[in-house]
Amino acid sequence: MARTELVSKAAKRKRAFWRTLMYIAIAAFFLWTTLPLLIMALSSIKELRDAFQIPEVGDWAGALKMIQFSPTFHHYTDLFTKEHFEHYILNSVIASGSASISAVSLGSLAAYGLARGKIPGEQHLSFWILSTRMAPVVAVMVPLYSIFTGLGLLEPSRWRNLLGLILAYTTFDLPFAVWFMRSFFEDIPVELEEAAKVDGCSNLKAFRKIILPLAMPGIVAALILCLIFSWNDFIFASIFGQQAAKTLPVATSELHSTVSIEWGGILASGTLLVVPMLFLGLLVKKYLVQGMTMGAVRQ
Amino acid sequence: MAKVTLNHVWKRYGKIEAVIDLSAECKDREFFCLLGPSGCGKSSTLRMIAGLEEISEGEILIGDTVVNKVEPKDRDIAMVFESYALYPHKTVYANMAFPLRVGKRSYTNSEIKDRVHKAAKILEISEFLDRYPKQLSGGQRQRVAIGRAIVREPLVFLMDEPISHLDAKLRTHMRGELKHLQKVLNHTMIYVTHDQLEAMSMADRIAIMNLGILQQLGTPDEIFNQPVNQFVAGFVGDPPMNFIDCTLEASGDNWQLTNDSFKISMSPELIAKFKGKNGDLSSGPMEVVLGVRPENFIITNEKGNEESFPGEVYVTEPLGEDMIVDVTIPKNKLKLKTSVDLDIRMGDKVWLEAMKNKIHLFNRKTQQAYF
Repeated sequence: MARTELVSKAAKRKRAFWRTLMYIAIAAFFLWTTLPLLIMALSSIKELRDAFQIPEVGDWAGALKMIQFSPTFHHYTDLFTKEHFEHYILNSVIASGSASISAVSLGSLAAYGLARGKIPGEQHLSFWILSTRMAPVVAVMVPLYSIFTGLGLLEPSRWRNLLGLILAYTTFDLPFAVWFMRSFFEDIPVELEEAAKVDGCSNLKAFRKIILPLAMPGIVAALILCLIFSWNDFIFASIFGQQAAKTLPVATSELHSTVSIEWGGILASGTLLVVPMLFLGLLVKKYLVQGMTMGAVRQ
Repeated sequence: MAKVTLNHVWKRYGKIEAVIDLSAECKDREFFCLLGPSGCGKSSTLRMIAGLEEISEGEILIGDTVVNKVEPKDRDIAMVFESYALYPHKTVYANMAFPLRVGKRSYTNSEIKDRVHKAAKILEISEFLDRYPKQLSGGQRQRVAIGRAIVREPLVFLMDEPISHLDAKLRTHMRGELKHLQKVLNHTMIYVTHDQLEAMSMADRIAIMNLGILQQLGTPDEIFNQPVNQFVAGFVGDPPMNFIDCTLEASGDNWQLTNDSFKISMSPELIAKFKGKNGDLSSGPMEVVLGVRPENFIITNEKGNEESFPGEVYVTEPLGEDMIVDVTIPKNKLKLKTSVDLDIRMGDKVWLEAMKNKIHLFNRKTQQAYF
């Protein structure tokens, strides 16, 4: 008895050590990833001279000055009054929103078909779908450029350029959406569908009434992830968006010109870029967790 | 309510033949059991009736309609699945109301409510109507699954091992409940199971399948007392029938079953039955298999008569009222069922005698039964 207690005490101490180490690592990672964002957000509501007040090394009291300032929102208002960022935000919303919705609607049907596995050569087909994501984006840029030119999507017109962007984003979101949602569909027992058919549903009705609601967490998570991908995209937008359909990241980069660097505007628009995605990120977490506990479907 | 007819039905999955030339008819309002070991094709058969599997060859009729090309939703059937297949995102009420909402016939909300409550009352699940499936126990889920089937009045009920996941006590209870329910609803029911006890206790008629082939179709009594072959004889009954290889030889009118341990003479009645099944000894003695059910042995401590044969008790398993006794005779180990009062122990020498009016005889090559 005494011996097992000894052993368990040692084991406990060991576990506590590793646990502490783990927490330290997590804390360090947390600071590493969030501090830049925090500094960006804080600086975006400071006057530039406050923002550039960097304390000396070892001056801990000086560090406090980082949060002692009188907030101002003029960087934000400038973005809208001087730079017309409302257009760029709208472009970003339209391009990433439409692309995500079309990727997820097409992708959910494909994913469901693949998950039910009644297609000959289904394995190869899935792999091919995934393989389209293996090449780096720049590799497809030239062929896409030539295709889009042929389709007239690169003419200086806002809607044509936006359509081009939506097409490009959908192309890149679709394989991801298919693979991501496929596993959600696979987790739904086929008996549920069969039960629905026996109960009086057509194939489509069974999909709509039973499968879709059950796969909803996966679908929403896929939608949000696609949204984040396309919202954050710079390279497609800078090439296919042209001047007429500039998105938020492209517009932000243009605040840095040969004559001046609009630090205030960059910080503010950076914050505008990050904040909505942060909330979507939290949302996706909720849905992913829900999706994982969906295993409970397997009664 | 309708009869279900299968005409020369085949099911092939690639090269594998799951159901081979199956012809059978489930009568109107009958409790019809498809019984067999796993992989015998019984579930495939049920799924073809439901329309969840394509029929490779042959035809299936529900009532007088050929349903080969009819979608499951248009077949007017209700099915209970082995895994219950309750919709996890719907409450018990919504699960049970679902077939009424999506089916061909339209019901008003008050009709739906009435039907669900009525079914819930029959199944004693009224208090769970607002819960979700994951908040229910296995037995409760199973009753919800049955409830979802009985809210409608389908032509046929199909049940795919609906109680095989319940614990033993609940299973025994549900056997009675299901049989009662079928009689009360007075509907045609096709029930798939691998458990011979379920089939024997509930069915009006049983179709026993093995390796995709229908072995025998008959009432539980026929299946038990007149098995057509060794498979059926061995599959039904617990413990299963004892099979003893022996030789059947004739010297004039005196026909005898012999083996290293015993000599059993056959009565004129049995000889007639043997001959009735084209049994022929004209070309000399014949290799046969004697089948005796565990309860059809007389077990004594002393040699009873000429045909008694000795054995040694290998083990005894008292089961309260009955006792299963394993007895070894040369080349064979037999299972016997006796009263627990019998005073025998491991290692005892006992004398056995088969009840001659209860024995079965099989052709050793074809495994077909003579009687």
